[in-house]
Amino acid sequence: MGGASREDMSQGQERAQNRAHEMDLIREAQAGSRAAFDVLVRQYEHQVLRLALHLTGSEPDAEDIYQDAFLKAFRYIGNFRFECSFYTWIYRIVTNLCLDQLRRRKTRREDHAVVVDRGGDEIDVLASVSDNRSFSNPARELDRKLLGEKIQAALTKLTPRERMVFELKHYQGLRLRTIGEILNTTEETAKNTLFRATKKLRAQLAELR
Amino acid sequence: MNCELAHERIVTAAYGELPDELAHELERHVAACPDCQKEHEKVLALRVVADAHPVAEPPPNLIARAHLRLDETLDTLPPKRWYERLGERILNSFASLQAAPVAALLLAAAGAGAGLLGGYEFALNRAAHAATTARTAVPAGAQVQPALALPELANVAGISSIVRQPNSEIVAVSYNQLVPRHAEGPVDDPAIRQLLMLATEDAASPRVRDDSVALLAAECRTGHGCQPSGIREALMVALRYDRSPRVRQKALEGLEPYVADDVRVRDAVLEAVLSDSDPAIRTAAIGLLDPVDADTSVRQVLYSVSNSDQNSQIRNVSRQVLSRVPEIQ
Repeated sequence: MGGASREDMSQGQERAQNRAHEMDLIREAQAGSRAAFDVLVRQYEHQVLRLALHLTGSEPDAEDIYQDAFLKAFRYIGNFRFECSFYTWIYRIVTNLCLDQLRRRKTRREDHAVVVDRGGDEIDVLASVSDNRSFSNPARELDRKLLGEKIQAALTKLTPRERMVFELKHYQGLRLRTIGEILNTTEETAKNTLFRATKKLRAQLAELR
Repeated sequence: MNCELAHERIVTAAYGELPDELAHELERHVAACPDCQKEHEKVLALRVVADAHPVAEPPPNLIARAHLRLDETLDTLPPKRWYERLGERILNSFASLQAAPVAALLLAAAGAGAGLLGGYEFALNRAAHAATTARTAVPAGAQVQPALALPELANVAGISSIVRQPNSEIVAVSYNQLVPRHAEGPVDDPAIRQLLMLATEDAASPRVRDDSVALLAAECRTGHGCQPSGIREALMVALRYDRSPRVRQKALEGLEPYVADDVRVRDAVLEAVLSDSDPAIRTAAIGLLDPVDADTSVRQVLYSVSNSDQNSQIRNVSRQVLSRVPEIQ
């Protein structure tokens, strides 16, 4: 018990130190330091790409979103006022760019069931994820692939905002409160949007049952 | 709890966002309601099914490529100029003010109110003053007689006091006048000396300072009433603080006869050795220390300067002085 609380305390101290270090980096970047900005980019680029890649299903689109997001961050870092965490701020930029992309797609009625690489070739995301389950076999793999495609298709039927909330909650595991902050809305609205998204997805995937 | 609310809470609970007290209530409801049990199962099933479209880690190549492209783009951007950063800071400050609109509104209202009140008071006083002056200067039926003739007004340096006589409109104004004066007399005349010492602090005119310090220094060199608290002090102040090297040089020359006897003069000369901006004055100051080089503080200063001064000439001169003191060698 005592050991656990000591561990919590040391984790809390570590988090506080990291936050202080990040604030120093932001201030340096605001003063014009490219090196400090580069450290911030390296800290968040993995998460930014992961989110953009899963949402768009396209490497070139994810790369464009990455590029635009960090360029915007560089240009407007002087406006960052430490009112929220840098994590929330950068996610806000990325989600806005992703929402724009999803809206454009919605109007073009694109329906990506597979990930497209830089050369325009299709990549099966499901196939690239190893399946260590004991029942893994080729027939099962095919089923999973088909199921994945169906889910992707069902996700495209959501509105961009519902898609974003579901993505941030289900796939990225963020708290509803954080999602509200990122999307400039309340926790309650994020909760309602999640409810609507799950309802629509269940309707779309009803045939699978 | 109705079923509609329960359905919403089932989703929230499935993602671990339902508070404990509500979770217990929901649990009891679901246990008793077959519809909500089904709903619960469907939500859990969706969670499992949705995981068939997993989040893939971005390939390392993609990360590297994206990072490189970003670096290249950032390299092409011109660095932000200082005024752009300043503009951002101002905008941020303004935005902070916007974040507290009520406070900003109150502040603006208070400022405007104070401004209006101040302006009103000022206008009122001015009107009253104008009326009083007019009545005082122009008695009924008399010709206009201004209280002050115009040529005198040009010499008014400032108003020192204003007193209004009780139950009357008469106001007594005391003012200072700038009148050029001329004084003449021997250099050792106390009034002339006083004026010369005043002139050593005349910040506006280096020429006046130069002339006065030269005269006072000459007086000191010839031993004409160079009192420690009078002329000598004025010369020490000039040596320490005057901006003109010429003036400082003359002050140093005037202090020369007192280095041996007056510790305060010695300290002022040591300060000049250590920190005067002009190497010529420092060299001259070291030369003045020759007769007192046995003094511990003088030796310390000379030793320090001879070892670590950036100016080689200063180092050499101080070494020469030190070399004449055998115990230091």
